[in-house]
Formats: sequence, structure tokens, C-alpha cells
Amino acid sequence: MKSGKFTYHEPTTLTAAFQLLAELGDDVKIIAGGQSLIPVMNLRLAQPEHLIDINTIQELIGIKETNEHITVGAVTCHADIETAFGLKAACPILPEAARRIGHLAIRNRGTIGGSLVNADPAAEWPLIAILMDAEMTIHSGQEVRILSARDFIQSVYTSAVEEYEILTTIQFPVLKTGEGWSIQQICRRVGDFAIVAVAVTLRLQQDGTLKHLRLCLGGMDVTPLRMTMVEKDAVGKIPDAAWIEDTSKSASKMGSPGSDMHANAIYRQEICEVLTTKALNEALHRARKQEGSPYG
Amino acid sequence: MDKVSISLNINGHDQEMLVEPRKLLSDAIREDARLTGTHVGCEHGVCGACTVLIDGRPQRSCLTFAIQAQGKSIHTIESVENKTGGYTPLQQALHEEHGLQCGFCTPGIIVTFEAYLKDHPNPSDAEIRDVLSGNLCRCTGYQNIIKAIKKVVAVLPEVQTEIEAGDEYFTDFTSIGKRMPRREDHRLLRGQGRYLDDIEVPGALHACFLRSPHAHAKIVSIEMDEAKSMPGVEAVFTGKELVEWTTTMRMAPPIDGIKPVEMTALPIDKVRFHGDPVVCVVATDRYVAEDAIECIDVEYEPLDAVTDMFKAQDSQSPLVDDMLDSNLVSHQTFSTDGIDAIMEDAEHIVECRFAEHRQTQLPIETRGIIAQWDQGREHLTLHVGNQAPHPYRTVIAGWLELKESQVTVISPDVGGGFGQKIAVYREELTVAAIARHLKRPVRWREDRMENLLAACHAREDTVRTRAAVDGDGKLLGLTLEITEDFGAYCFYPANYLARVIAMIISGPYRLPQYAYDVKVVLTNKCGNGPMRAPMAITSWIMDGTIEAIAKHLSLDPVAVRRTNMLSERDLPYTMPSGEVLEDVNPLETLERGLEAFDYQAFRKHQNADRTQKVYRGIGICAVVESTTYGSKFYKSAGIPGSGHEAAWVKVEPSGVVRASVGLASTGQGYETAFAQTVAEGFGVHPDDVRIEIGNTDVAPYGMGSRGSRGATAGGGAAYLVGLKAQKKALTIAAKLLNIDTIDELSMRHGKVWHRNKGAWTETPLGLPDIARVAYFNPAELPEGMEPGFEIFKAYDPPPMTYSNSTHFCEVLVNIGTGQVNIERYLIVENCGTVINPLIVEGQQHGSVIMGISGTLFEHVIYDDTGQNLTGSLADYLIPTACEVPDIDIIQMNTPNKNTPAGIKGMAEGGVMGAIGAVSNAVSDALAPFNITIEEHPISPNSLRALLRKNHKGLLQ
Repeated sequence: MKSGKFTYHEPTTLTAAFQLLAELGDDVKIIAGGQSLIPVMNLRLAQPEHLIDINTIQELIGIKETNEHITVGAVTCHADIETAFGLKAACPILPEAARRIGHLAIRNRGTIGGSLVNADPAAEWPLIAILMDAEMTIHSGQEVRILSARDFIQSVYTSAVEEYEILTTIQFPVLKTGEGWSIQQICRRVGDFAIVAVAVTLRLQQDGTLKHLRLCLGGMDVTPLRMTMVEKDAVGKIPDAAWIEDTSKSASKMGSPGSDMHANAIYRQEICEVLTTKALNEALHRARKQEGSPYG
Repeated sequence: MDKVSISLNINGHDQEMLVEPRKLLSDAIREDARLTGTHVGCEHGVCGACTVLIDGRPQRSCLTFAIQAQGKSIHTIESVENKTGGYTPLQQALHEEHGLQCGFCTPGIIVTFEAYLKDHPNPSDAEIRDVLSGNLCRCTGYQNIIKAIKKVVAVLPEVQTEIEAGDEYFTDFTSIGKRMPRREDHRLLRGQGRYLDDIEVPGALHACFLRSPHAHAKIVSIEMDEAKSMPGVEAVFTGKELVEWTTTMRMAPPIDGIKPVEMTALPIDKVRFHGDPVVCVVATDRYVAEDAIECIDVEYEPLDAVTDMFKAQDSQSPLVDDMLDSNLVSHQTFSTDGIDAIMEDAEHIVECRFAEHRQTQLPIETRGIIAQWDQGREHLTLHVGNQAPHPYRTVIAGWLELKESQVTVISPDVGGGFGQKIAVYREELTVAAIARHLKRPVRWREDRMENLLAACHAREDTVRTRAAVDGDGKLLGLTLEITEDFGAYCFYPANYLARVIAMIISGPYRLPQYAYDVKVVLTNKCGNGPMRAPMAITSWIMDGTIEAIAKHLSLDPVAVRRTNMLSERDLPYTMPSGEVLEDVNPLETLERGLEAFDYQAFRKHQNADRTQKVYRGIGICAVVESTTYGSKFYKSAGIPGSGHEAAWVKVEPSGVVRASVGLASTGQGYETAFAQTVAEGFGVHPDDVRIEIGNTDVAPYGMGSRGSRGATAGGGAAYLVGLKAQKKALTIAAKLLNIDTIDELSMRHGKVWHRNKGAWTETPLGLPDIARVAYFNPAELPEGMEPGFEIFKAYDPPPMTYSNSTHFCEVLVNIGTGQVNIERYLIVENCGTVINPLIVEGQQHGSVIMGISGTLFEHVIYDDTGQNLTGSLADYLIPTACEVPDIDIIQMNTPNKNTPAGIKGMAEGGVMGAIGAVSNAVSDALAPFNITIEEHPISPNSLRALLRKNHKGLLQ
């Protein structure tokens, strides 16, 4: 399986990249890690005339931490997020999401930006970005716009990025003190795309009731789904077994899961319920046992 | 875009190359830098064979364009060595632990772990598996790879495989029975193997096939002008042209019940399955050839397709092969005399159903061929990875209307076969014919999608059984109704399954009467071929039936096995087919395994867990594996062909020993194992024997590697030729030493020993001395002996030999998610004299994992219109290192009394046992829900569907 012909461009600055985008017309694809794009090109399912390689644009690579945010350059590879020194303390859900992507060799090359623009409904980064309400900065030659992850991921393999634009950074909030979290997935094999995935963050009050909840489901619809109603209703509730069971049942009814050769819709609904229970339990456990947690 | 000049830093050297931007790094490394140790298995980033280091980090070279790798430092397997050019600790450990077989996936694994272990010198078992999960292996089942890595990080203490009584027999041998690390490893661990794609042929053109997108369609017209005139394209051919250079390929054994079928090199009138090759483009490279394929316009008239083996038997069904009057290509029935009476009078009849699904062999190296026609000598040389080069040569010479002496077939290093690489395929015939016509070398390498869609499929059998039993669970008779979906073309005789089932269905059990009705049906899918243990379903059938009997009569399934299973005391046992079973010990392996697995404790544990809604199950499957297939088998089965094998030994004037056997290797370590058997027979050291196999000009005519015949037929022939050589050497020695009889002489490690008054002493005479006389001083030879030292021996093994084993599998089923986890797996096996325990264990591992893989993961899926939905490794699944259990093995070997050195042969029994054991284990776990597994694969989705259906069933 060999790709069709294309002309290769390797701009080293964003400015150069936008110039190329302006000049080259419609039949252009931007390549970052290529771990999703190259198989598709090898299969000749995508045959762009021009390929713009943004891997050497340094301003798109790197991780910056502040007390409030983690800002990740779009062309940062998953492996670097997985092993970034400060992240395990400040925002451990990020390295955990990265760790689950494919295999080591894929993570050494695939990028967070590539994954988000690709918008595979079963992928980790769209799930986590929507969970955390990450902010996506998109540049074009003319302007900069910032979208929330929920607006950025539009549908299956469809993001909000236009042909003349480049996703440049993704900004996540750090996890707060005492914030529990969990990612649960079911895959046929380690490293495969998840059939269903559930991600949770939550914080508890001194009295053990829920202060804040974020709950996001992957594989249940064309994009990851935030359970916004449940999140609102959860504030003040006691996260006991009954609440967990109710929430899990609600989760299983969300969206419109599809059927494919690996799993049918009913199966997805069933395991969504199972995974939501697991995720909530794990998040609660983490919230309760943390240093500085009021629930220590 | 045209080619650009780039510079890649590979293994510390800057390499200039001229490449198109689309050229993959994997291809650039292999072709432009000529470093062929990095292998290509899929080109979609799943298998990991192509992994290299880029700036010290493992990456898939098939998922990077070469032009993107400029300015980085790339390291390949060729750079992996220690400071003095020897093995690294990882390579050494893989060598010692037999952590590689065909070697195709090995460089990717070594490169990954050399980097990983540098940064993580103390990984846990889970971490090792997690990293290893990025590399697929089809041969080893990952067992010894993990063991080797653990050895490097000093996690694993030395573990001895338990040796059972009976092994004392083998201490008489000096080479046979030794755990000798393989000599093949020397090249395979360093990426210096020579697989088909590694062989450089200057001026070779590249072939590429346009394949049908339809499952069934008439070929109306083919528009090829644009493709033909594309720069870089040499020629384009269709079935119409090829007909002039090839005869029809006939698969027509003269047996009752099977219809002869024919095929042309490429289809002319219609295509019969999604992926059927239609046009062959020949160009300067594969990239250009694929460009040309895109310009070819084939007009099809789609026809209705049939994808269901039962619907295919309706008179209204679309006809797959227009030369036949129906899709039923083979129908064979048989019954013993008393079966009808038994079924009528039986106290109990137990009915079962078993549906095995469609799979494919999936060697990590896909198919391919290089064809070179020497016009001056009128000789065709074919390089092709094939398990049986001589029969291959006979067949392809015939189809090209060449004499066999005009064709040489060379099987180089091969990245796995598993039955896929035996038949002569149409693509290969096409390439050979084109090479002859163009008078230029032509080569073809199949890509992974082609391999999944269009190489060869297997299994897909549906079976209904009825067992007659008495009140104690004793088996009185069994009837089987089998229907097999054979796909659209016959790559091997359609009656094969019936033939083998007929012989071995009873396996390790006493079965006085039986009957079978086997129908083999054509459908619009890729044709079937043999896949490691084509008869594997038989073990699932027998042990599944035993379990059903136990359930029906409320008996312990172990008790039912004891009632019916053969023990050594029952031998020889004549099976209802007339075959005589000897030298097996089924009941003994069952008892030993029950003890080792602690069956009683398991049942207690299982019951306790059930009260906590934790569902464990145990699956037992007892296997008698038919191996070897001597020529009498073929005769009685009415299948053309023979099962004999041939070997030669040549001693050069300097005394070095060369030997050959008619088998070709696809990872079984023949170069080592046969060196051991020749050495054993000859009385030399295995290190002094060079084995040369795979080349039809060099090796004697043999029947190839298949049907677990390698050890008995090949090893047997090698042992016998070694004995013959020793006899000649000692006869010469007796003359030179002036000794009357060779009875008092023996060869040990190439030196002649003499027994004088009961005591053995070494003489000054060695093989070099003997050889020198034979070649340069024949006057000194014994009267009447011919000069030189070349010995030939052909060996026809018994029609059948048998290995047996009992498999034990414990699973944990998560009823909420449908996931099955294999907690423990044990094989207790008797495979006769073991030539090399390391290699045999590797075969046991690989075959069991393949069986587990088929039962839980693999599935070739066609939709109703005949579209194959599993054309990539992301969809056709085999387990990674994270999904496989550790396999424990207990050997209970006894020799076969009728074969050289007591060898029996093995390597398919693992598949047979695993399919049955895993199925039974899951059924056992789900017994509280009244669920019996009748279909494969047992995916989480399908398990949940079963549980949902039985939701009303009791939970306790």
C-alpha cells in the first residue's frame, strides 16, 4: 500500500505555514505525527496534492505550566505528555490519557493536535479535552480564535479547523486540590481504540457531598458527550452507591451509540453503565485519599 | 512531485538518496540504504515489524515519509550489537530462551526493547507486556520473548520444565533431546536474514494486482491504455493474455464425492470474491505500479453474491463456479455398520452444535515471489517463501508447460507459513509467466490488505452432532453433519477435512460407531486453504460432546472422560476408521494434568466465587493429533501424492558435513533440529553439520513442511541418512584400522572409537581422514566401495503417527463486560522423542496461542453483499502480549515404536486443544446461566448477547 504522489513542504515557522496555505489552494493536508494520516494515505483514501509538514515549527511544541493551566503545543507528541515531569502532580489525568494511546512507537510520533483535529470519536484527547473544557487556540494567516473543546469537536472526524487554519495550542485547567479523577475504557486489546470510554473529575465538600462533577462519555455518539444535566444536578448530592447506580444508568442512555463489527449499540450502552460506575468509584477514591483533601 | 535528494543519518552514517516525498522511511531504509533487517508487515502501523529508533525513540518507519526523517538520527537492527560486535544481553537472552522462530517480527522487538530497557532497566511483568504489545508475533505466542526480556532484567529465576518418567529413554542420545539454541538465530537476531523482499535482483520489475471491489461480477471490459502509457510502466496483463502462457490450473483429485475444479491464472469472465485479482501491472517500482492501477478502468456487471454456506446449497443460489452445476463441490459420507442400530436403540441421545468461523493464517510476512527467466538456458528460477518447494515446482512447471528440470524453486528465509504458503497461487503463476514472456525478472510482494482479503482463508465449519450414550455416559456412537464454507476457489482438495475427520474424530476416546456427512460448499469469498490444524474443530467437537453428555446426565465431566478415554493399557486401539492408535497415553495425561491443575481445589474455588457473583470456569480438551501422513495414507485416502521424505549427507574432502532434507522452513528451526538428527545418526557434533534446505536444485525431492510431519518425516529421514553415513564411514575406518567388523566401532563427535574387550577407546582416525581417503585415495577403500562420500536416503514413514495432549484452561468471565481472561493454561503432552525441547516448547506455545487467538479474537467478516470488512490489522485481530496467558507445559513423552528414534511429530495439537479448552472453560464459567458456547469468536459483544438472551436464567 503506497501513497499517491504529493509535493512536500516543510515550513519552520507559522508564518511560512500560513503563506503556503494561502498559495497552495484546496488540495492540501497538514501533517503532524502522521500516525492517523499516513495509513490513510498509504491506502489512498486521502490523496492530497500538497503535504505541509508542521513538525519542525518549534513554537507549536512544548508544555507550559502555570498554577492555573497547562498549555500544550499542538505538535507535542503523546509520549512527551505521558512523561512530562510536572504533569503527574499538577494534572495527572493528562499523562494517563496519553499513556493509553496506541503503543509506545505510536506515542513517540503522534501528536495531541493531530488527534484532536482528527476527532475520532473513540480517541482519548477529544474525550479529555471535552471533559476538561479545554480551550483550543486556532490560528490562521489573519486571525486567532479560541474555541471550547465542545465547539471544536464537531462530529466524526470533523473538527472546527478550516482548511486555512492551524490548531496551535490546547489549554487545560489544572486539577484542583482534592480533585479526584478517572479514565475507564474497554478495548478489544491493549492499545486499540476504545469501544466505550468514560472520564470523570469530581470534587467533594467537607461534608462529603459533591461540590463539582465533570463526566464525559466516549464512543456513545459522533463526539464525546458531557453529561451536563447530571453534572448540574449532582452538586450537593451524596455520592453513595444509589447515586452512582443512577448516574451510571443515565450515562448508558446518553447519545446514540452506533453498531459496528466490534460492538453493537446495546453492548455499548451496557458497558457505558459498567465503566461509569468504575470511573465514579475510582474518582471518589482518589478524591477521598488525597493530601489536603477535606475528606482525607 | 519528482524525486528529491535527501540525506538520512542511519546507524551513524549519512546516506544520500534520491526519493519521492511519498517514499516511506521503511522502503528507503530497505531499498536505498540497503538495510533489510527492518521488515514490513502491514504499512498501517499495527504490527510493529518496521520499528526503528529515531533520535533514540522507537517509531514505526512505515508511518513516516523518508523525507520527514532528515536531520534526525535513525538506528536500525543492524546497529544493535555489543562493543565487540557480539550479541547484546537482549539478543543473547532471546537466543538462549528461543524467543524467536521465523524472525520476521524480531528486529522490531529488539529495537524497541534496546531503547526501552535503557531508560527502564527494571520493568515489571505488566510493563514488559505493555511495551511488547506494540509488536505482533504469530509464531511464539510471546511466551519466550517475555521470558528472555525478564532474563535480561534478571527478574525471572531459572525454571525447569518438568520431566516425566519416560524421558530416561532419551538419555541414550547425544544430540537428539538437547536444548540447543538455534543457529538460525545468528542471522535473524541481527536482521541479517534473507527474506524474499530482501533479495536484490538488479533490473527486476515490480508486479501489482488490480483486484475486484465486487464479490461477484462479470468482467465486461478493461480499459488499460492510460496505465500502459504511464512512465515507469512496462506492461499490463489480464487473464486473456495469460491464458496463452499458462495451462488451466486444475484441482481435480480422482476421488468419489469431489468435483474437479479449474481456474485460469487470472479470471477472464467473472470475478468471484472481493479481492479477486483481475489485472497485473508490471512497473519499475510498486509506487508507480499502484499509480497505474488507479488509471485502469474495469467495467463490471455486478451479480448477486452468496455468502451463506446453507443458502449456497439452494437451487436458486448464485452459482460461484460456472463449470459446476451447483455450489456443492464435495459431499462425502461414511458410516460404520452398526451406527444406525446404535442411534436407534440408544438410551440417551445428546445433540450439540459447533460453529467455527472464518479465519486466515496471517503470517507476519505476506506472500510474494521473484521470477527470473534465463532465456539462454531456458530456465526459470523462482524465489518464493514456500513450505513445500518440490511439489510447488512440479505443479508450477506443469502449469507453465515447462519441464521440471527447467524450473528451480528457492524458498529463502520465510516469515511464517501456517499452511498459507503451500499452494501455487494464481498471482505467483502470473508473475512467473510474465517474467518468461518479458524476459525480465519480475517480483511481487503482497501488501497486508491483499493478504487479508485475497491470500487464503480457513476454517468456517458448522457442525451438528448427535451422540448416543448409555446411562453411565459411555459413548456408543456419534453422527456428525458438517458443512464447510470453502470460499470461491479451491486452493487445496475440498475433501481434505472429511478425510482427516474420518480418521481422527474419535481422538483420545473410545468410539465404537460413527457416521459423518461432510458437505463443502463454494461461496463468494476468498478460497480456503489449510491453516495450522485444519481439522482442529474435531477436538472441540469431542470434548464439547463430552461436556454435553455430562450435563445431560448430571455427571462430572471428568468422570465422563475417564469412562471414555483411552489409556496406554487399551493400546493398540483400532478406531472405527480402521486406523490403529498406538504409543499414546491420553488418560495418563488427563490424570497428570488434573493433579497439576488441582482440579478439586478449583471446583471448590469456583463454587465459592459463584456465591460472590464471580464466574470462573475450567475447560479441558484432550487431543490426539495426527501427524506425518506417510504415503500409505495418501493411497488409502485417494489423494494424489506421497508422504515420504528424502535426505542426503555429503562429506567434503576436508571432513565437513553437509546435509539436506526435502522440507523448507518457515520458522521451525530445521537447520538446528536436522543438524541434531543427522549428527545423532552419523556420530558427529551438530555444530559440524551444515543443513541446506529450501532449494530444489540442492535438496532432494521431498513433500515439504506441513501436517506436523517435519520431525518424523524430515527428522526421521535425516537420522536415517546419518546412520547410513556412519555405517559407510565405519566400514572405511575398519579397513584402514585393519579391524574385521564395524560392530566394534562407533563414531562419536567425528572421531572413530573402538571397543576392545568391552572398553571403548578413541582411535586416531577421524572423519577428515576417512573423507580424504574416499576422495583422494580410493584405492585404500574397502573392496567394491565407490569413491567419494555422498549418501542418499528416502524414508516412508508409517501412514500415521500420533501425538497426544490434554489441555487445561481456567478463565475468569466478566459477565458485565463480556470479557474473558485466561488465568491459567496447562498442556500435558506426549509428543514422542523430542529432537530439541526448546524448539518443541516454542511450537507448543505458538500453536496454543493461535488456538486461543482464533477462539477469542480472529474473525474474517463478510457482509451480506460479500464485502470483506476486515482488510486491516486494526479489524482482523490477533492478541498482543497483554492478552495471552502464561503457558505451563508438562512433558509425558513416550517414543513411537515404529519410527526412527521414536519421533512422532507435533505442532498442530496446540491449536486443537486450545479451541476446545477455551470454549469449554467459558461454557463452564457460564453454566449458572445455562450458556454453552456454540459459536466463535467468543467476543465480549457476543458473550453479552448470550447473557442478555439468558437473563431470565438463574444466577446461582
